[in-house]
Amino acid sequence: MRLLIVEDYRPLQQSLTKGLREAGFAVDTTRDGQEGLWYAMGNDYDVIILDLMLPGIDGLEILKRLRAKGRQSHILILTAKDTLEDRVTGLDLGADDYLVKPFAFKELLARVRALLRRSYRQKNPRIKVKDLRIDLTTQRVWRGRQEIALTPREYGLLEYLAMRAAETVSRTDIWEHVYEFNSAASSNVVDVYIGYLRKKIEQAGKPLLIHTVRGRGYFLGGQT
Amino acid sequence: MTCSLRTRLVIGTVGTIVLLLTVFSLILYVMIRRALVNQFDASLLSTARMLAASVEQDGNEIELEFEVRQLPEFNDPQRQTYYQIWRPDGAVVAKSPLLGADGLLRLEGSLDSPVFGVLRAGNGQPQRTVGFKFIPRLSDSNRVTDSHLTKEQALTLVVARDASDLHRQLYLLQWLLLITSGVTMALSVFVAAIVVRRGLEPLNSIANEIAAIKEDNLAARIKTTSVPAEIMPIKSRLNDLLSRLEDAFKRERRFTADVAHELRTPLAGIRSTIEVTLTRARDQNEYKRVLCDCQAIVENMQTMVSNLLMLARLDAQQISFHSEQIRLAEMVNSCWRSLCDKALVRETGFENRIPVEMICDSDPEHLSMVFMNLLDNAVEYTNNGGQIWATGRQADDSIEITVANTGCTLTSEQASQVFDCFWRGDSSRKDAGVHCGLGLALVQRIVRALGGYTIVDVQNTEIFTIRLALPARGPSTNFY
Repeated sequence: MRLLIVEDYRPLQQSLTKGLREAGFAVDTTRDGQEGLWYAMGNDYDVIILDLMLPGIDGLEILKRLRAKGRQSHILILTAKDTLEDRVTGLDLGADDYLVKPFAFKELLARVRALLRRSYRQKNPRIKVKDLRIDLTTQRVWRGRQEIALTPREYGLLEYLAMRAAETVSRTDIWEHVYEFNSAASSNVVDVYIGYLRKKIEQAGKPLLIHTVRGRGYFLGGQT
Repeated sequence: MTCSLRTRLVIGTVGTIVLLLTVFSLILYVMIRRALVNQFDASLLSTARMLAASVEQDGNEIELEFEVRQLPEFNDPQRQTYYQIWRPDGAVVAKSPLLGADGLLRLEGSLDSPVFGVLRAGNGQPQRTVGFKFIPRLSDSNRVTDSHLTKEQALTLVVARDASDLHRQLYLLQWLLLITSGVTMALSVFVAAIVVRRGLEPLNSIANEIAAIKEDNLAARIKTTSVPAEIMPIKSRLNDLLSRLEDAFKRERRFTADVAHELRTPLAGIRSTIEVTLTRARDQNEYKRVLCDCQAIVENMQTMVSNLLMLARLDAQQISFHSEQIRLAEMVNSCWRSLCDKALVRETGFENRIPVEMICDSDPEHLSMVFMNLLDNAVEYTNNGGQIWATGRQADDSIEITVANTGCTLTSEQASQVFDCFWRGDSSRKDAGVHCGLGLALVQRIVRALGGYTIVDVQNTEIFTIRLALPARGPSTNFY
């Protein structure tokens, strides 16, 4: 899942980026409002974590412009402004969540996960595709009773496919939602990682879960 | 306890009405009494004159005309009019048959100026009497004269009439006036209470409106429209006061919110840094780096808290100063030394044009704080490769120092805000959390406390100048 952090306070921006990347998210980050708007307009982020007091353009202005342009990314406002008016203004301008600084990193993670589930209409934090089970909270994966160990990148890919289970997902979509902006990878890497994932998930004697739809992409689920 | 305005007005109004009513009633009573008595006396005198005119002297005989004696008023016990006539020697010539054995008191006035008197009859009834001397007409004459030629023959006539009716009328009048006054007074209390209450209604409605204004709705104003001219200035002043109060509360709230915001951001930084680090095991170098990051944040927070404390002390006038001779150029150089590394990174040049011999009598600790903040601000906001310079000029009894830098992007309107707490030129806010917008606010307050003033100037394109004027002879008091 791909996130954008727009936060001007360097220590916070660095620690959030690090923490979220370690939590398996692809994270783009900037400390400037103008640059943040440019990132958000040009990419399809699953969640944008947005500070309000920013150099360049104010966070609320970014929010307004994104919504005016019809951008559907879920936006979490992360700010030290804690008055009722501030919260109401932020939410009324189209933010999906509002978190006041200082905050617990675990809470931020939980809220980001909740927004992601909302993005893909997944209320249950445990996704089940045939005998494949994915716990979105602990990021653990089982096939039948056997737990499968995945690298963060592999998990990110599987999670995205699982969120859009039974739906054909293009390589571009995968690349946009699983890889960061500055990533050196190209969309061909997707095929490589799908290969890695297949090796770990598909098991002899069990039905195939990851299917290739020629010319269109992949889908996770039973036989088409 | 002081009486309420309403009570005072009611008491004043009713008191005035009572006083006026009493005086008016007394005057009215006296005038009516006099008129009634005069009327009574005139009637009495008329009867007496008629009686005198009916007395005839025939030789030595004195006769009263029979028709007169038979008049009902002299015989009717209900009307009770008495007369008595004396000769000059005191012998009674005639008297009213109603008197019986009693007699009247002899009063000796003249026909032109009769003497009136009051007496009480034997039965205790009040009577009014009139008496005068007169010359009876001779039987062959029908003219009454009072010439000295016949003075020896003058008779004395006294006529008395019962005045019970008159006294009863006056008594009635007294009660009438008393009752009328009493009722009027009672009504006046009632009417005055209503009038005063209605008159004070605008004050009450203003008081109610003020009572309804709480700390959380200071934007409310007194709206009562039907306000008398006398209360209009009070309404305007109260609304002005509310405006000032609202501004003060807004400033305080903004300041508190700003303080909270500025403390929350670094706290969020520390918490997030620590929590992310603790999510998994790290190597020693990483822990060390995280601790150093947290230390840097804490140091910045400490600077901000110290600045806030200093501002609070300056506002509360709790800072003590001690003056000494300061070589300004030397002090500015010394402040610059701690900033030159940062300036070097940004390739910022500095030129100290303050004359070496310039001396100022001021507080060295606080003045150095001023220069430190000014230069730090200049380094922070000068464009890369830009220039900073400080100049000094001695005026009559003050010293003017300017610190200027290139790379200014502020408008005049923005520049007018640079001394506000927590204000930052947003587009220039390159390092959030390190500078929280208190430096120049502190400069302004300290310079003011030192007896000087600060001016900001952005007239010259892209050059930001802060001008300080300090008294050459230092702060006038030891405590500010």
